[in-house]
Amino acid sequence: MKKQTKEVKGKGLYEVLKAEVDEIIDESPLIKTFVMTPEEPFKFNTGEFIELTLDGLGEAPFTPSSSPFVTEKLEVTIMKTGYITSKFHDLKSGAILGIRGPFGRGYPVDRFIGKEILIVGGGCGLAPIRSLLFTLIEMKDQIEKVVLLYGSKTPTDCIYKPMFAKLNSIDKFETYRSADRPDGTEWDESIGLVTILLDQPMVDMDNSIAVVCGPPVMMKFATLRLLELGFSDDDIFLSMEKNMSCGLGKCGHCMMGEFFVCKDGPVFTYAEIKHSPEIWK
Amino acid sequence: MQKAIKINKDEWNRLLIKLSDAGERLYAPIRHNGVFDYELIDTESIGEIVYNEAKPASPLKIFFLPIRLNVTGGGKTPGRIIIIGAPACDIEGLKLLDAIYIDEKYTDESYLSRRQNAIIIGAPCHKTAENCHCTTYGVNPWPGDGCDISLSSTGEDIILTTMSEKGNGFMNEIKSLVDSTEPEAGDMETLKRLQEASAAEIADKNDGLPGKEETGKLVQAAESSFWKEHSSKCVSCGACAAICPTCTCFLLIDRPGFEKIKQQDTCQYPAFERVAGGEDPLKELSVRFHNRYMCKFVWKPERFGVLACTGCGRCIDACIAGISKNEVIREMT
Repeated sequence: MKKQTKEVKGKGLYEVLKAEVDEIIDESPLIKTFVMTPEEPFKFNTGEFIELTLDGLGEAPFTPSSSPFVTEKLEVTIMKTGYITSKFHDLKSGAILGIRGPFGRGYPVDRFIGKEILIVGGGCGLAPIRSLLFTLIEMKDQIEKVVLLYGSKTPTDCIYKPMFAKLNSIDKFETYRSADRPDGTEWDESIGLVTILLDQPMVDMDNSIAVVCGPPVMMKFATLRLLELGFSDDDIFLSMEKNMSCGLGKCGHCMMGEFFVCKDGPVFTYAEIKHSPEIWK
Repeated sequence: MQKAIKINKDEWNRLLIKLSDAGERLYAPIRHNGVFDYELIDTESIGEIVYNEAKPASPLKIFFLPIRLNVTGGGKTPGRIIIIGAPACDIEGLKLLDAIYIDEKYTDESYLSRRQNAIIIGAPCHKTAENCHCTTYGVNPWPGDGCDISLSSTGEDIILTTMSEKGNGFMNEIKSLVDSTEPEAGDMETLKRLQEASAAEIADKNDGLPGKEETGKLVQAAESSFWKEHSSKCVSCGACAAICPTCTCFLLIDRPGFEKIKQQDTCQYPAFERVAGGEDPLKELSVRFHNRYMCKFVWKPERFGVLACTGCGRCIDACIAGISKNEVIREMT
């Protein structure tokens, strides 16, 4: 039997930390942010994910959308898309949820030091990115520039609407948005798929990295466009969303080739996973 | 250092009764209607234990990964069990289970406690079964490292050889309870001949079946049309995974009170990897079917450096559609 070389984190792998929902913010017709107070301070690194349990009904993986520097509160942004996410959307303030984690490998922010960072987000994929942005704001003296490109289906579907003006007011940060189609609401930004914002690199191609998070089809075409622009496979960071269930690299539901996305990811470079099967599904 | 002792069969049976009466939980293969499988043995069944035939119907993993287990609070085992008659193919399979469940970052307590509390008495195969093919993947039909004691029956006697420190300790317990002698050189030679004959028989009937590395290459190279053709009869019942000594995937089920139930699962079931948004990398039957071969012969060996198919052949025995993994692999060559 294999000998343990590190402290064994055994007990509690399947136990939850309870958290009370303080506030539920409607971000868009399908997306809500749940602001929670965990019963103990909760630490995570940006890009790592948690399993959020609705007692007796099920659990699902989410990457916190809040700042890793805040441990008393935790925010999770959830799109209503299936059974359990619908149940989360039915919750009211005061509900008690369960947290397991944090799990996985988040954004390797040390690799971003001294770089220009191009971030491409789509839909609810802005949730992990918001946590990353909070981190980048904290380390803005160590980075050169952050360009956020974000696409939603319609202007109404754009989440974290107040965040963009705030980001644009911060030195070194700029944001650009697109909506796939107009819906009659006021919109001063672009119309079209998020990749139309990638006509120009907008960063110094000799000193930049790219981060992509969004629905699989958007991640695929954004990645292909970034490659065309000249980003190397190793400089594109993808946050893969698979069916992470146990979070421990055991249950097998999130396997992507030899990788357990829950443990080896969810953040991978394109170089690491480009040969894995079905990465865009 | 290995130590061996010889115990008269009647004396051995009396020892097992003594252990059972003392509250020890002993499991050994018992035959019913031609099929033998592990059972909790008692005074009645001790005389019915099947020794040194090919593998029991169930894989050894059933002792360490129960089909359904409440893991809230760790899901630890209530205490020691003694497993008699584990075949080499299953013991080899534990290496992958250990790699997954006792990893450095997240050790699964329910698994670890069961492994630590089990004394595994392996048994060389003096007989083989129709679909045995361990030697194809470099596994001998006799236990090596991975078990605690190796047991061989000569008919009149039982010969026990220690294989681990834990086995040494258990052997000392036994020696204080029963009369034993040192086996004679002739006994050991006879047993060696029996197990080597099994190895030769298995190698002979699997002549031409590609080894592990070649199988990995073939499985990667085969076109999607090949997988569509060969999976067409598969009904996604998951029997191949349920009885596989190295398939370990599970589902977590929630129960009120934030309880978590771990239940055996398999990539062969539809929607195994489906996400809430509807995307499902394993949506097509042929992709699921291919996934299992890739997992066994490419991904798990790459990732963990151990075998993920140990040639037990149970998946072939169990397939209600009559799909033979070995025939599928031969078709690739």
